[in-house]
Amino acid sequence: MSELGFLFAGYAVVWVALGGYIIAVGRRQSTLRREIARLEREFRTGE
Amino acid sequence: MTTVSPGSTAQPDATAAVADGGAGGGVTTAAAAPLPEPGRTLWLDILGVVAILSVLVALYGAIIWAPTEAVMGHVQRIFYFHMPSAWVALGPAFTIVFICSIVYLVKKDLRYDRIAGASAELGVLFTTITLLTGPLWAKPIWGAYWTWDPRLTTTLVLWFIYVAYLMLRSSITEGHSRARLSAVFGIVGWIDVPIVFMSIRWWRTIHPTLVTGEGMNLDSSMEAVLMLSLAAITLLYVYLLIVRVRQLDMGSRLDRLRQLSHLR
Repeated sequence: MSELGFLFAGYAVVWVALGGYIIAVGRRQSTLRREIARLEREFRTGE
Repeated sequence: MTTVSPGSTAQPDATAAVADGGAGGGVTTAAAAPLPEPGRTLWLDILGVVAILSVLVALYGAIIWAPTEAVMGHVQRIFYFHMPSAWVALGPAFTIVFICSIVYLVKKDLRYDRIAGASAELGVLFTTITLLTGPLWAKPIWGAYWTWDPRLTTTLVLWFIYVAYLMLRSSITEGHSRARLSAVFGIVGWIDVPIVFMSIRWWRTIHPTLVTGEGMNLDSSMEAVLMLSLAAITLLYVYLLIVRVRQLDMGSRLDRLRQLSHLR
């Protein structure tokens, strides 16, 4: 691999790792939102 | 049991038990008050935008603005994200795990356990980046991806310690027994952090030494880009830590609400 190839690979690692983590955090956020909405519905219908 | 409508402002005693994640963990109906959407506040959104913009500016500085290193060439530019990732992991991330673990053991407040857990997660993320970018920089310079150099070896050990810490946390249900075990692990595991820092002074190493008695071994424009990257990655760490802690807090409250909804 050329010098620029290693540079590209290095930065690809950084963006894939950071991007993967941020996507995972975003998915957890969506799951929490859905769960809150479900529980609110449940409480409303249970009254 | 009292019932509170979703829009009600009445906050019977149990709301506090749900909201503060208290040890009592009382399961009562007051939790029916609407929950705020997790992690949605203006200042946090602004912090997120600033963090991402500063990382992009740092990227521009690293790739375009910084001069090409005379001996190593373009591959040295990996350094501008390799070193800040190592700094964030070894500096704030694992040190916050250590401090919050001690505070948890003193105060027995699960919020500190959650901060420690979130910070360990980010510490592992940034150590992973360090351990992957380092070999990609090393290969064209040293002729090998990896050597059992003291700095590299102690960093790898650190990564294993905190991966084990996260595995321990994920294998036990949230509560004080998990928090106690994690806190002890977080305190003992941190011992490797100063060893990683000092490894280049204590043992013979081929790992570059950036800071010496005479200051930084860097050209002034390279130093400026490094400082920018350090600030950007630290800001990103702070933002992600706040978001993750808020998510963990909310998850904990939701667990109590689930218990409540099953009992209704």
